[in-house]
Amino acid sequence: MTAVAAPVRLAGPGRLRRWRPGRAAVVALILVGIAVALAPVYWMLATSLKTPFAATSLTPSYFPHHLSMSNYNELLVKGVVPFKTYLANSVLTSVIASVVAVAISALAGYSFSRSRWRLRGPTSVAVLATQMLPLVVFVGPLYLLLLDAHLLNTYTGLVIGYTSFAIPFGSWLMKGFFDSVPVELEEAARVDGYGRLSILFRVVIPTVIPGLLTTGVFVFINSWNNLLYPLTLITNNSHQTLPPGLLDSFVGEFNTDWGGMMAAAVLTTIPLAVAFFAVQRYMVRGMTAGALAGT
Amino acid sequence: MAVASAPAPTVSGGPSLPARRARSRRRTPVFDWMALPAVIVLAGVIGYPIVRAVQLSFTNSNLLSAGAAKSVGLQNYKTLFTNDPVFWQALEHTAVYTFVSVAAAALIGLALALATENLGGAWRILRTLMLTPWGVPVIVVAFLFYYMFQDRGGVVNQALTSLGIIHTPILWLGTGKWAMIAVIIANVWSTTPFFLLMFTAALASVPNEVIEAARVDRAGPMAMLTRIKLPYLRNAAVLGSLLMVIQNFNNFPLIYSMTKGGPVYSTTTLVIYVYQLAFDQFHLGFASAVGVIWLIILLVFAGLFIRLMRTNPA
Repeated sequence: MTAVAAPVRLAGPGRLRRWRPGRAAVVALILVGIAVALAPVYWMLATSLKTPFAATSLTPSYFPHHLSMSNYNELLVKGVVPFKTYLANSVLTSVIASVVAVAISALAGYSFSRSRWRLRGPTSVAVLATQMLPLVVFVGPLYLLLLDAHLLNTYTGLVIGYTSFAIPFGSWLMKGFFDSVPVELEEAARVDGYGRLSILFRVVIPTVIPGLLTTGVFVFINSWNNLLYPLTLITNNSHQTLPPGLLDSFVGEFNTDWGGMMAAAVLTTIPLAVAFFAVQRYMVRGMTAGALAGT
Repeated sequence: MAVASAPAPTVSGGPSLPARRARSRRRTPVFDWMALPAVIVLAGVIGYPIVRAVQLSFTNSNLLSAGAAKSVGLQNYKTLFTNDPVFWQALEHTAVYTFVSVAAAALIGLALALATENLGGAWRILRTLMLTPWGVPVIVVAFLFYYMFQDRGGVVNQALTSLGIIHTPILWLGTGKWAMIAVIIANVWSTTPFFLLMFTAALASVPNEVIEAARVDRAGPMAMLTRIKLPYLRNAAVLGSLLMVIQNFNNFPLIYSMTKGGPVYSTTTLVIYVYQLAFDQFHLGFASAVGVIWLIILLVFAGLFIRLMRTNPA
């Protein structure tokens, strides 16, 4: 293995050094790629740190001349926009949805991975198919359903909405993690007289904790990003989450509070970015398992 | 339930390999209780709404007076196909938005993956930097590009003007053609990292022996790319694109936050149209009919995707 890998590592840069125009093109491409990827994020940060007056300018300067925290102060302390309420609601509903969805998905994923039952094939394909369906088709009937159950404008209604769309993808992600646990581990526990649930919780779950965390983070990200459900199922500002709340506060013909908008954008990004880079290693796997909720 | 029955035939081949290995000496039960909570939630919150949506699509249900819906037979579908130009426009916008976005993001992602392929050690940070947009929530992407594409005070127009590329500001979000371009640019920015990751993983899986053999045969850089690497990337490209096609079909937050489907209907995709019909105009029955058509189109793609997943799991 090393005998094969070593020459490649040597040959790579050597080949590039000989082929100069190609190397220049590669370097240029990388630089442009990074610039384009980072520029909007820089602009968000820079605008959020300008004074509100400088941020509303029709010819905004590319660099903030006086660093100012007043946009953040406005959001977090003074509170013209009920930002803290939106933030708390987003955190609360996303976290609860993650916990509930992980619990249900872990059970289902374990079942898809291990047990043998006749409807397993059709059920798992149906589950995989549901995550490709557009939320918007369900939201009308879901609205009527929650209306009948008196769950409109409640956290419960929102969590039900988030969870339902997290479960298909969560189950598939968890199935993948369970598939990689050797069956022999469970056989041994079974011989020792453990029941199914205790095998799952005492033997298998401890080995798939990264899987549980990854699934939880993905559910969190999808719930955090969800605009459609809170927009339609919540009309009361005290229960509203960040996406519709900020849309309502900052987007419109007469808005010019760009500093406030960008500060809110930064604060909305931070929890998600942290969660995101924590599970970056599992990202491709998670995406192909289908982080498909249409949000 | 359409969802369960449509893709089901692909399953008739029986359980997959790792599952077969796990088969114990017991009898196989019909159902396993461990999957029950998931199935109950899905049946209640997804299965029931699908049935309800189909049923609503044959009524004149109105969100403001949900109880007073009357059956109208196929009227909604008839109107949809013969007398609703917006539906056809929305279909076209969905196709343009989806395919242009996916093609652009895939090509850029491929180029960046090839460019960063030989980065070693600490230089890999360069690739991580390119993944930054992936960590930005969709709703923030929408706000950010909404601000940058403002015709007055937007940094895009300002930069283009100072570079001498344009002389009068472009009404990015105020004219139909430019609004579509603006939402596609925002979408490509946000989804390119996915393809970059996908292709990077696929490139890493090209066996060293193959690269080495090609090098011994003195394959030039172009031949190396087109003859050796690209064929290995085919699966990743197909899988990733299909996944992104489905996701873009269903994308609501980006377009809705940036343009609300406007100006007029110029960025109204089917998802936005269904939302507007149901929640702005309260025509839940008619919206459901659009939704049902939408569902059928999507199931075709979902079926394709599942077939690919089963024949060649990532």
